[in-house]
Amino acid sequence: MNEGESGLTLTQLARDGTSSQPMVSNLRMSAAAAGDLVAKLAPIARFADMFVRPAEHGLERVLVFTDDQSGGYLRLTCPLDESFPVPLSRVLPAAYQEECELYELWGVEPGGGKPVNRVILPPSAETAEPLRLPGGDRLSSEVRAPHVVQGEAIEFPWGPIRGAGQESLYLGLVTTGEELLDAYLAMFHKHRGLEHRMVGQTLARALFLAERCEGLGSVGNALALARAAEAALGIAVEPAAEVTRCLALELERIYHHVGSLAALGAATGLSVGQAEAEILLEDCLRLNARAFGHRYLFNLLEVGGVRRGADLAALDSGLDRLEARFESLVADLLATNSYVDRLEGAGTITADAAHRLGLVGPVARAAGVATDLRRTHQVSSASYVGFRPAREQAGDSLARMLVGAAEVRESLRLVRHWVRSGTPLQDDWAAPAPGQDHAGGPAEGLGWAETCRGEALVHLEVAEGRVSFARLRPAATRNWRAFDDALRARNVFTDVPIVEASFWLTVAGFAR
Amino acid sequence: MTPTARDPGALPLAGAAHGEIDAAAVRLKRRSQAVLRRSLHIRTVDTGSCGACESEIRLLSSPYYDFHRLGLFFTPTPRHADCLLVTGPGCRAMDHALLSAYEAMPAPKVVVAVGACPLGGVFGADRYTRGEITDVVPVDVVVPGCPPSPLALIHGLLLALDRIEERITLQEGEQ
Ligand code: SF4
Repeated sequence: MNEGESGLTLTQLARDGTSSQPMVSNLRMSAAAAGDLVAKLAPIARFADMFVRPAEHGLERVLVFTDDQSGGYLRLTCPLDESFPVPLSRVLPAAYQEECELYELWGVEPGGGKPVNRVILPPSAETAEPLRLPGGDRLSSEVRAPHVVQGEAIEFPWGPIRGAGQESLYLGLVTTGEELLDAYLAMFHKHRGLEHRMVGQTLARALFLAERCEGLGSVGNALALARAAEAALGIAVEPAAEVTRCLALELERIYHHVGSLAALGAATGLSVGQAEAEILLEDCLRLNARAFGHRYLFNLLEVGGVRRGADLAALDSGLDRLEARFESLVADLLATNSYVDRLEGAGTITADAAHRLGLVGPVARAAGVATDLRRTHQVSSASYVGFRPAREQAGDSLARMLVGAAEVRESLRLVRHWVRSGTPLQDDWAAPAPGQDHAGGPAEGLGWAETCRGEALVHLEVAEGRVSFARLRPAATRNWRAFDDALRARNVFTDVPIVEASFWLTVAGFAR
Repeated sequence: MTPTARDPGALPLAGAAHGEIDAAAVRLKRRSQAVLRRSLHIRTVDTGSCGACESEIRLLSSPYYDFHRLGLFFTPTPRHADCLLVTGPGCRAMDHALLSAYEAMPAPKVVVAVGACPLGGVFGADRYTRGEITDVVPVDVVVPGCPPSPLALIHGLLLALDRIEERITLQEGEQ
């Protein structure tokens, strides 16, 4: 259990709260009281999310915290029209991105006169009219946050269209030549308004959209959404279906980390390593297709279970070859000094920064932070028996690569265990899950999953079988927050692709 | 439209596909050299994809598909591009960038729309997305799938060469 100096824990602080689902407690209070509580929570809990939702008496602000030692979430709600005594991000630096978003979406100032970056709206938009308030409909062709670059430095603009097969993103690299001084990111070119689109839709449609939030992480995001819906509607998932979901989640993690190795090969100019990793990536995708019928594991989940089972024989037959090739690739890479040297010290994140910015997944684990929902926030006891989370200390690109490699090994072990040990698995087209028509509500649920990039969170409200409010918080949203910090940490220009490949985040997930 | 197990993105690629790729390789290289008297250069633009289409595009240059041997190359600048490979549902914030890239390309040029997104199959037209990218740039070839597999993309590029050939013939006829 994570204890602060006062010996308090998140569980104790949440004691007075109500609970609408296992592992989630809710507290409701004034903004002033919430400000006090947040100051107590900051050192002992991880800030996971902040969003605004419409409620009966106007808009409400919701903060979500979690405890990475003992599991469990705390949802803190306060009225939006009361402001915090001090800007939240002064106590919780991780919340700055959300503060900026809330300002643009809802017109809420952080308080204390703190300036906000414009992260969504372009400076060319003549109004600061909030996007979600009536009449707010201002998206134009250029989306950049305004800032000043002075002295010897210049801002090298890169994007939004970048290299072949890269996602759109504006990266302003501030440099005097070789050394990187600063970096500005504008990530909302790809904003598709997914949360907004889900409102009024069926749960099946919401799941379809959640899968396409990040195609390279479709299972993880869909799983978090399915779990949120199941929590809201009290739908139980059969153990066989639950393990099948975890199986798909681990297959996703394997191809994701292998994809990162391919990108690292390209970024370091190691063509042979890149080619070997790409061969392995294609093998992973083909194995996904043989096991579940889709290279990126789309259309697999549904609220209440899975839509189809795995072809276990096909999966089983591919695992050994995959593992052998993977081990030989990693051994070759680590024996290549020029490769290891480039990764070492590139894009370093300290453990302290990782805590402060609320980082999740492999990026946090590579900086020495023990956070893995598969260990602490298990939804079902059937799945992750004997699970061993990965951890490194250095926080640089090499540490992230090593964490990725360790996670592939662990995922392969888990998959093999599930496939070969006779664990009940969905092995055929699934019968319609109970509660198919998803009637009922209004109700709310929080869903989570340890996706290949870390914790994904979904807060869902359902009324009469349809989504009435949705908030998606993919892992990418949290971890991009550390990308510019990582670039600032004594890097040169050519380190940028290496740091990006070792983070291996998606713009799609951030921009939603 | 919900993609089903029947769409190309969902088709497992059998080992036999290699023969198919090789045959396509020979045809494509001969064609690009006959038509352009050089290789075909491709610029990619993401207008809000989920990232899976990009992953398949990146694999075009991987050893399994190795599209360089077909005389196909990515280019970092639209000024050298014959073909614009567009993914995503046409996020409005990308309108300007997409149109600039298209306008910077020399004629004859083709646009290949990749996946269900730019066809309006995933998102409709609203204040965030165009739904169909034809509102911004003219589309010559569509490659359906969510995402289309690298093989389907190669097929699409073959069709793109057809369009370029038609355009060259037309130009020469006018001269
Ligand atoms: S077509 Fe499908 S795979 Fe491609 S970007 Fe759109 S949602 Fe993703």
